[in-house]
Amino acid sequence: MSAQTILFFNNFFAILTVIALVGAVGLLVFRMVKGPEAATLLGDKAVWLAWVVALVATVGSLMYSELFHYVPCRLCWFQRIAMYPLAIVLLVGAIRREAAVKFYAIPIALVGLVISVYHNVLQFFPSLEGTSCDPLVPCSARSIEMFGFMDLPFMAGAGFIVIAVLLAFYTKAEE
Amino acid sequence: MTQKTRPKPGGKDAKSKATLWWIVGGVVGLGLIVALAASIATEPEVDASIGFGDPTVEGDPLPVYAAGTQDVAIGLTAPTVTGADWEGNPVSIEPNGNSKIILFLAHWCPHCQNEVPVVQEWIDTGNLPEGVELISVVTATDRSRTNWPPQDWLEEEGWTSPSVMDDQIGTVAANYGMAGTPFYVVLDGENTNLGRISGEIGVEGLNALAALAQSG
Repeated sequence: MSAQTILFFNNFFAILTVIALVGAVGLLVFRMVKGPEAATLLGDKAVWLAWVVALVATVGSLMYSELFHYVPCRLCWFQRIAMYPLAIVLLVGAIRREAAVKFYAIPIALVGLVISVYHNVLQFFPSLEGTSCDPLVPCSARSIEMFGFMDLPFMAGAGFIVIAVLLAFYTKAEE
Repeated sequence: MTQKTRPKPGGKDAKSKATLWWIVGGVVGLGLIVALAASIATEPEVDASIGFGDPTVEGDPLPVYAAGTQDVAIGLTAPTVTGADWEGNPVSIEPNGNSKIILFLAHWCPHCQNEVPVVQEWIDTGNLPEGVELISVVTATDRSRTNWPPQDWLEEEGWTSPSVMDDQIGTVAANYGMAGTPFYVVLDGENTNLGRISGEIGVEGLNALAALAQSG
């Protein structure tokens, strides 16, 4: 895979991340301004959107490891363990229109978010996990750096936030 | 006579229409993102050999260093390395009578990024003893990782020590038993290993390594 192709996908996922985060913040602001009626904005499409986020994150992480040959580090694997099931659980929940999907998906997304936050902190403060880098797959080293700060764990963390926010809206819509 | 009926708000037709708009909006949005990502992905193709050398290694390899334990390779002779820096100037690690501190660095490693300025300042303030050489080995270079190419990083840091560029499979690092970066090896004038250590060691550690090198 050429460096140009990898750079394209770095840009693609970075832009998606920014848009998704801005959207999530916008939804939260809208909810604060409009109150409970804001929940009708997305209706049951919220869970479909959450599924799209989980699917894009899953496909993206597989592209980086299987096509671009970035070997996932230990913490990346933990985040994968949280994200991959969401791509299935949310799809089933969306098809069945089950409001209960939030009870399964939000806790998984929050666990993933905690790991992502720790991974990002570790990249800024590598001494939290020792004083040397594993020459193959160190958690503290950045794989990519978009806009001067964004690496893959940041994108994963944004994905977990957006999924949790969307599902919170889905909950309201069902009520 | 047939009578046209308006779709009820929230009815099946209205829902289908809304879904269609969501799909159209999603496709258009995705197209815009792809166009934007493509327009800013304008990195020119680069020579894949940048950041690598073609060093030759002679002698038996040292066993892999195990952090936190007594180095089992103390007293063993380290291999002789003949290589070059990024400008092609010859640099070697050979039994020439001078003690040496060998420092293995990876451009993407945050600990190496922390350690390099510390080491350079330590050298600049005259702490490297007379008769002791400090040679760096630039290894584990990876075009797809951050802070590439390594020579740009080292030049930005004002790195003054001779550097051997390792090859794409990390031959020098493997022959010195590197287990993590940064990685230090102290050799006496006959290339006998006096000790190895992995990780950031700071000024105190550098002083200890210098003393060890002088003892050889």
